[in-house]
Amino acid sequence: MLKKIASIRGGLTFLLILAIIYAIYGIYYKIEYWGFSFSPKQNTNLWSIEAHISFTPTNTPIKINLTTPRSNDAFKILEENIIAPDYKIKRNKTKSLLTLTAPAKNPEDKQNLYYKIMLFDNIDTRGKIKAPQPQAPQQPIFDNQKLAAAKQILDLAEKMDGDSVSQIILLLNQEPLAPAVQSYLPVKNTQQQTVEIISDLLALKQIPSRPARGFKLEESKKSLSPDLMLEAYIDGVWKLYDIRTGKKGLPDNFILFQRGGKSLIDVIGGEDSVIKFSVLKSVKSTMSLAGQRAKLMDSQGWFNYSIYNLPLSQQNTLKWLSIFPLGILLIVLMRNVVGIQTMGTFTPMLLSMALVKTGFWAGMGCFSIMILLGLIIRSLMNRFNLLLVPRISAVVIFVILIMQELTVLGYSLDLHIAQSAVFFPIIITAWIIERASITWEEEGPLNAGKEIFNSLLVAIIVYFVISSEYIRHIMFAFNELNIIILFIVMLLGTYTGYRLLELKRFSPIVKR
Amino acid sequence: MLKWLSKFCSPQQLYDAGVLGMNARNFHIISKHNQRRLYPLVDDKVQTKTLANNIGISTPKLIGKIEHQYEVKNILDIINQYTEFVIKPAQGSGGKGVLVISDYHDGIFTTASGRKISYAEVYQHISNILSGLYSLGGKYDTAIIEELVHFSDVFKEYSYQGVPDVRLIIYKGYPIMAMTRLPTKASGGRANLHQGAVGVGLNIQTGKALHGVLRNQPVTIQPDTGADLMQIQVPYWQEHLLIGALAYDMTGLGYLGADIVLDANKGPMMLELNARPGLAIQIANGFGLKTKIKEVDKYYPENLTANERVKFVLNYRHAK
Ligand SMILES: Nc1ncnc2c1ncn2[C@@H]1O[C@H](COP(=O)(O)OP(=O)(O)O)[C@@H](O)[C@H]1O
Ligand SMILES: [Mg+2]
Repeated sequence: MLKKIASIRGGLTFLLILAIIYAIYGIYYKIEYWGFSFSPKQNTNLWSIEAHISFTPTNTPIKINLTTPRSNDAFKILEENIIAPDYKIKRNKTKSLLTLTAPAKNPEDKQNLYYKIMLFDNIDTRGKIKAPQPQAPQQPIFDNQKLAAAKQILDLAEKMDGDSVSQIILLLNQEPLAPAVQSYLPVKNTQQQTVEIISDLLALKQIPSRPARGFKLEESKKSLSPDLMLEAYIDGVWKLYDIRTGKKGLPDNFILFQRGGKSLIDVIGGEDSVIKFSVLKSVKSTMSLAGQRAKLMDSQGWFNYSIYNLPLSQQNTLKWLSIFPLGILLIVLMRNVVGIQTMGTFTPMLLSMALVKTGFWAGMGCFSIMILLGLIIRSLMNRFNLLLVPRISAVVIFVILIMQELTVLGYSLDLHIAQSAVFFPIIITAWIIERASITWEEEGPLNAGKEIFNSLLVAIIVYFVISSEYIRHIMFAFNELNIIILFIVMLLGTYTGYRLLELKRFSPIVKR
Repeated sequence: MLKWLSKFCSPQQLYDAGVLGMNARNFHIISKHNQRRLYPLVDDKVQTKTLANNIGISTPKLIGKIEHQYEVKNILDIINQYTEFVIKPAQGSGGKGVLVISDYHDGIFTTASGRKISYAEVYQHISNILSGLYSLGGKYDTAIIEELVHFSDVFKEYSYQGVPDVRLIIYKGYPIMAMTRLPTKASGGRANLHQGAVGVGLNIQTGKALHGVLRNQPVTIQPDTGADLMQIQVPYWQEHLLIGALAYDMTGLGYLGADIVLDANKGPMMLELNARPGLAIQIANGFGLKTKIKEVDKYYPENLTANERVKFVLNYRHAK
């Protein structure tokens, strides 16, 4: 016999371990590839950026080159949209260049084209992405005089703060400028030129660099022009620098749109071209973006068969369901390990679920009122000597009436307590009343009270676990935990040790 | 808080005392020794009675039974010549739904506790039984009407109204533990411990009192009558044990409880059998069932007749 139990236990333990390993892998996978997290409130910023290109066609063929961002580890593209009716759309191999060609017959009136992209950024991976070593930077073509000046500037830069890139940027932005720098810089320089100058200087130091464009996000501003920044390849990573302050890293509220390349948009065959950008920020819960992430991570097959791919309303139902196993585990623990006897095995579970919907105090108050009224009515009904089925049915109807009255009362008095009545399972409530009243008759009010108290106690314990938004989120997001619970429950089925309350119950045997 | 905690003992202490816990009872004992298909034999008191009478165990005589609602009105015909009887559910448990009528005259029923009730109430009670109010899971039940047991005077001073009974635990056909359950005022004259009856553990070889327990606490006197519980000596002890041993032969249940009442005129009678007897008997005896079960597994012979098993128990000396 003992051997048999040992083998059952061994088998179940083995399965439990398998379940744990599976769950750990599943959790890792979901966090890594689907972006799930343990916190229910994790949100991801979602940006929609719109480029509005307008120009008046000339008589030459129209061609528009648009550099577009591609998904990478720093941000993912959710949606991409081109509104350019009648234009032919072509992409290059890496898809980073979009070419729009006008139809054979050139349009005459002003053209309005739109390019829309929606992307979310992966804050976690910012600045941590290892990039392959780019080619050695192309050396600038300088005459001897310019080279000497450049070398002098590099020497001067050594005295500034920060790393070699910051040093150069700081030097070039110094107020007032050092004389050597002043003579080196052109009289009026654009951002574009500044970047080029810095890049050339860095190339002399064999540091690869490239321009980067992005947007400083300010909600109030609707039209923006892209800001230029500089990326330098240092220690195997592309690092971003502000070309005015030399500050390293991505500034807050800044979204990178494009890296490298000359300019964002070229319009050939048009005049008066205006490019306006607008940026909109929205917040979405990380969970709802999981599908997109999965798609980008090539793990979509699995995702399509997961519950997270269902319509939201069904997900909510399942979310509700996936907390059950934990509640059941608690009830098994309460009954078989602690030794509390409740009315019906899962009555506390149903009660606690009602409490979640009503809120704790409102629910408790309402439940007490219903049970109390129910018991009074039930004891009055005793005199009618009704048969069981009609009697319990009558109690059910009474419970419904009480619920209705409480709800109406709650509404007119604006009492939240009374309005929560509708959430209590009618049949369960009726049975609790019926059982309690029988126990009352047969074993006295004390025992009846004790039965209700025990059931309520377990319900409250279960309530506090399942009402936690964290736990609910975790049990839903990482539903493989339910398999662990399954095997724990089964293992508890082989628990033959004493129940906690038996230590009190049987203590007279050893304490005599 | 500390005081409350001090009411607990350690699992090791219980283990050393050989106490059988609920989980171990269900897992090791009941599921191993009691086949599920045998349960109806003991869960249905009508079947139990028939089987018992066939094998020679005496039980309170069945006056009649009511199976359907339309038969309820026949109750007066059934009890026609009786002035005292008991109505109870065939599949009840824990004393639920047992109506003891100690006097019936001119349409007035008097219960054991002296309450007078009308025909309508009796009718209602039977209806309740039929609709399954008192049976497990609420399934339809049969009401049985049987003769009232006139309990022997030996117990008179130990119990307040009601019928005291003797509960035997029978393992593999050997009675291994015994206790008598004495109704109190608090238990409403019923012999169920959780309703407040006093339990007194009995020496299995002699039928003499060992310890008393009331609501899980040790007692030495009957709370209502003040009688010294330690003076209890159940008469016809060997006959009690024989009923227990025969109950095993008749049901095939390796672990069962037998409730036996002592009728003043007819001697020990079996009231009911139980395939999942409670564990409170250990408290009344002051030692654990596991000790006894191990002893039986190790030293008690198999394949003895009921009589031989009773003799074996009576003459058994602890193996040292
Ligand atoms: N025939 C009877 N005569 C007197 N009392 C009875 C009789 N039958 C039952 N009782 C009383 O009712 C109690 C419970 O009856 P029992 O047959 O053991 O049903 P249950 O299965 O509900 O325990 C008994 O302990 C006894 O006190
Ligand atoms: Mg009984």
